[in-house]
Amino acid sequence: MLLIVILLILDIFLGSVNIKASEVISAIFNNSNSNYETIILKFRLPKAITALVVGVALSLSGLQMQTVFRNPMAGPYVLGISSGASLGVAFVILGFSSNIAPESLNGLGNWILVVASWVGAGAVMLLIMVISSRVKDIMTVLILGIMLSSGISAIVTIMQYFSNETMLKAYVIWTMGSLGNLTSGQLNVLLISVLAGVILSLFSSKMLNALLIGENYAGSLGLNVRFARAVIFICTSILAGSVTAFCGPIGFIGIAVPHIVRIIFKTSDHKILIPGTILMGGAIMLISDIISQLPGSESVLPVNAVTSLIGIPVVIWVILRKRNYSGSF
Amino acid sequence: MHVLKSIPIIALLIFSGCRYSNNRTTDEISDKVNQITKAERFTLEKKNGWTEIKIINPWQGASGVNQVFYLVKRGTKMATLPDSSSVIFVPVRKIICTSTTHIAMIEALGEINSVVGVSGTNLIYSPEVIKNVNKGLVGDIGYDANLNKELIIKLSPDLIMIYGIGSESTGYVGKVKELGIKVIMNADYLETDPLSRTEWIKLFGALYCKENLADSIFESEVEKYIKLKKYIEQNISVRPKVLLGLPFKDTWYVSSGNSFISKLISDAGGDYLWRDTESSISMPYGIENVYLRGLTADYWLNVGSISSKNEISAVDQRLNDLPCFKNDNLFNNNKRVTSNGGNDYWESGSLYPHLLLKDIATILHPEVFEDHELVYYKKIN
Repeated sequence: MLLIVILLILDIFLGSVNIKASEVISAIFNNSNSNYETIILKFRLPKAITALVVGVALSLSGLQMQTVFRNPMAGPYVLGISSGASLGVAFVILGFSSNIAPESLNGLGNWILVVASWVGAGAVMLLIMVISSRVKDIMTVLILGIMLSSGISAIVTIMQYFSNETMLKAYVIWTMGSLGNLTSGQLNVLLISVLAGVILSLFSSKMLNALLIGENYAGSLGLNVRFARAVIFICTSILAGSVTAFCGPIGFIGIAVPHIVRIIFKTSDHKILIPGTILMGGAIMLISDIISQLPGSESVLPVNAVTSLIGIPVVIWVILRKRNYSGSF
Repeated sequence: MHVLKSIPIIALLIFSGCRYSNNRTTDEISDKVNQITKAERFTLEKKNGWTEIKIINPWQGASGVNQVFYLVKRGTKMATLPDSSSVIFVPVRKIICTSTTHIAMIEALGEINSVVGVSGTNLIYSPEVIKNVNKGLVGDIGYDANLNKELIIKLSPDLIMIYGIGSESTGYVGKVKELGIKVIMNADYLETDPLSRTEWIKLFGALYCKENLADSIFESEVEKYIKLKKYIEQNISVRPKVLLGLPFKDTWYVSSGNSFISKLISDAGGDYLWRDTESSISMPYGIENVYLRGLTADYWLNVGSISSKNEISAVDQRLNDLPCFKNDNLFNNNKRVTSNGGNDYWESGSLYPHLLLKDIATILHPEVFEDHELVYYKKIN
């Protein structure tokens, strides 16, 4: 918890503009009305909060997916949320805008891409839910989910193939993810959605624990498996769907963080894993954001690349250290 | 990417004396026909019975890549050439152009009817070419990997002029070359000096056997540009600070200090906020960084395809707080556009840089150019 607070503060203090610590403090506490105040309050603070919320949401939905599918490689996007969202965005950037430049697309407002990706992700989730309610075996759901994602990616690839450079660039930049472009209204929507997802997931910890021993056993313990699946899928859709809608598909956090938490806390009890994942997810995302701002240099890196680059070595290290790790599933 | 292979260029660098950087837009006007004085990316040499053109490093980041062609006048006896596969018979009768700047130059030479194909008919501004498109005389060959090769064969051009975005572009055209169609890579867009871009008209002059006309267009442009630049220098007292471009999410691609637009702003008596940066490409900067500097800007130019202040607010509401936005000092280069988005700034703008210079100077110093009506730029309200 303390770590989160420290990182949150660090994220506000460090950015691509060098601002002295004293000036940051005076910008926050005294109404100095300086340019730095604008940078701190309008750029860094919302970005830091977004990073925190995104980290929490993606890690939590990753944990849920890994448990539901009893698969260590599952993540928030395994059900096709990100490919659904990409399809929505691709339609807007690559499809409708064939005659207009991407900047005028911006002119239509931030919300267009958000709504498009939300609709895309929602449609795919709905399809998965329908399949899941009819199919008994969870592995079938997983495979169908992966097939659906690949199919959608293929459609997006075709759209990319037929678009020109500027459209392609706009789309590629979207896929790289970004944390710093949310208006205060959008940030509020994201906060509320993620809060709802977090509360729902706290209630689901018992179900998740039961699912760990396998759906058949969980059923014999009196768990309504299909209801549990539905609750968890809705929860993941809200968490990962909102994040993807506002920030683009941000990779690896959702897969990596639950593993790190399992090993640190040496448990598979979701009453501990869920709060642990919330904290660790927020912390790692904040670190990623700090790194992506390349403090001291004028340039920035896409946050999506940073999450993968710091996530991968951590997971490899963690897994190699604990050889019988797969026993946790 | 500076390739200093030709002596005239080195000489120019030595003699240049601009206040801001190695700006070669200065002074000497060549009186020798066919001598390339400013452009860095091509050379042109008259030989006995043919003209040798050499395109140097035709894409961003290329080094040591040269494309050589031998232009032989139709009907003349073939001389012994080093490589007969690189012969182009001139004047060219049918050409496919992939960039609108090519079209402007061909049009200036009065050869617009030789254009039989383009890349993206909707991006064309020239009314003449649009007329020909509507008559079905100009085909759309598509882009990059999607080049419509069958259409290219059907149009059977003497040559295709492409511009490369990378070495892979050469891959796209490999098949076309295999069919015996000559492909020239035009690197005018890589020239960072406004007049160097204009000099590419000499390449077209050679291709259409209109060297003298091409030369006179270039020389007249050089004269007008340099005269105007001196006039600006003598008549301004302050250099307003200029911000360029738009952010995309939290990244703001910033044109470097040695870019085409940066030199125009400097020559027009402005102070581009990133004039000290040196890079051959636009750099992705953090939005907070650009924003902070942007707060000091007096003017804001080249904001994509935006036509109203509301559109800027929709990109990012925080941009509303920039003083240049609040003070209505916002101008964009999209005054001359077609309903499909063809923008003449990208078409004839490269050929007539003195008009661009005058536009920007009028924006930055309205008191100096009271009578000038903007050609390519318009105020954004």
